[in-house]
Amino acid sequence: MTASQTAQHGIFHGHVDAQKLGVTPKKGRLVPLRTRDEIRAATELLDAYVVEVPAVFASAVLNVIRIAIPNIRDVNIQHLRRVVHLSFLPEHLQQTFIASAQTWPSPEHPDGEARASDPNPTEIRYLLVSPASLIASQDLVAALAREPPFSIANIVPHVITIPVPALAPTSAEEAQQWSEKYWSISYKNTNPYGPHPSLLERNQAGIEPYAGTWLALAKVAGGQMSGRGIGANVGCAIVHKERKEHRVIAVAGDARWRGTGDSKPCREEPGNVMAHAAMRAIGMVARKRVRLEQSLDELTSDAAGQIACDVPLSPVENSFFSVDNLPSTGYLCLDLDIYLTHEPCVMCSMAILHSRFRRCVFENAVKATGGLMTSKESPSVENGLGYGIFWRPAELNWKFLAWHWENE
Amino acid sequence: MDEEERQYHENFMREAIKMAELALSSDETPVGCVFVKDGEIIGRGMNETNKTLNGTRHAEFVALIQILSKYPISILQSTDLYVTVEPCVMCASALRQYGIRAVYFGCWNDRFGGTGGVLNIHEDPSIDKPYPVHGGIFREEAINLLRRFYVQENSKAPEPHSKKTRELKLLESSV
Repeated sequence: MTASQTAQHGIFHGHVDAQKLGVTPKKGRLVPLRTRDEIRAATELLDAYVVEVPAVFASAVLNVIRIAIPNIRDVNIQHLRRVVHLSFLPEHLQQTFIASAQTWPSPEHPDGEARASDPNPTEIRYLLVSPASLIASQDLVAALAREPPFSIANIVPHVITIPVPALAPTSAEEAQQWSEKYWSISYKNTNPYGPHPSLLERNQAGIEPYAGTWLALAKVAGGQMSGRGIGANVGCAIVHKERKEHRVIAVAGDARWRGTGDSKPCREEPGNVMAHAAMRAIGMVARKRVRLEQSLDELTSDAAGQIACDVPLSPVENSFFSVDNLPSTGYLCLDLDIYLTHEPCVMCSMAILHSRFRRCVFENAVKATGGLMTSKESPSVENGLGYGIFWRPAELNWKFLAWHWENE
Repeated sequence: MDEEERQYHENFMREAIKMAELALSSDETPVGCVFVKDGEIIGRGMNETNKTLNGTRHAEFVALIQILSKYPISILQSTDLYVTVEPCVMCASALRQYGIRAVYFGCWNDRFGGTGGVLNIHEDPSIDKPYPVHGGIFREEAINLLRRFYVQENSKAPEPHSKKTRELKLLESSV
């Protein structure tokens, strides 16, 4: 089999030979996109009460809190460590607490006799009581003051209010940062606000070695259209990867300036929106599937082909459109990956979601129109639109993994 | 909205419903639309995702393809859309980029609506001009069409075994 035949069949086993595709792979790495919920989790704070207690009374005070604030059961603060030694607190809190340290009398043990395993009776701990929204500060002070150790030592509980992250961290790094900034945070290897870390890691490792090649191919597709003045310099490649086999199902460049009906190429904004590269490539996948299911030799050109431009218009598009390498059991673009030179616009992002893609990688972020990136900033044309249309499971009926490609 | 205006819009929504009925009889999700320029229908569409195996071939796109094969893109700036179900996020964005003048729809789409149902693509920050939307025109008819489709689909599906068992149990407990 010659080089061009391999490329024409669009199927690679094991090694993907970029030379045979006529491209130079981009060098770089994949950076997972943050979901909207992850951004929210990373920025949402709540006020919480903290109180100083002798270590031996920590569990007794937790019991007092459970009784005084019954609805504490309904809030999830499992990511916040409840009883913390001074040395595990952020620098600024350490200073605050040292400055306000109370003098505890040599304590009587809550259960009577002290045991050898007990903490040093003069040891102090800082106890995270609850979110401030659950009880008024003076009510909390009163409830604590009635019970040991405060009642027996005749010490007024010193309750202070601090901001803490409202939601659990989504990575070990984030937990570390928050622990240094707010309060001691515990991290469980899970992510309620986005793809599970191990799932993301596995998928990233599986596609990262080839992503630079597919992005280079997407660029070729874009270049073959923009070079003839019929589209923006934007392209994409749709790939099926199963274990070590890679199949290039479709590639497409942008054709928004191609003109519609009998009109000549036209650079007037916005151009033909439905001829964006991703829409065209999705349309080509659909046509290949129709061709496969109906055993057609060729597809007759129709109005849709002319206007939606979901038929090949360049040599590289044709070389992958012409081969029947689509797994025959599929549905829409389920199990397929899409690689784009640019972040897809809102329309294309939702088209990718409607089509049930598995994974998406893009090279250039596009703040003014992109539909995938998220941001801490409020949405705007300058900051980015912040839609995150890849992982909004509570609102949209499909989700997929998405990465931004960073060139070396 | 005065009576005359209401009748004007309902008239075109009836035409959109006809397209949705056509979709229903072709085993497509019953969503239909018409595009109207100066009181004239310039394009009609119905959902064609099953026929084309293309999940993006919504009624709006089918009609847009028809329109753009005859007219320049700029005609859409003075054109209104009547569609039985709220445009999805994808269509809402396409319409905004094309510069649609206004959108009238029947029922809201709380699964992936782009003009109020889930997101507000028609008026959110964007480089493209926002457009006004008016929902709820013949809302019940639009919903009934969707319900008929899902019943139709269910009647074709083989009845799962577990369901039979459950029915039997219910009968016993009701005695």
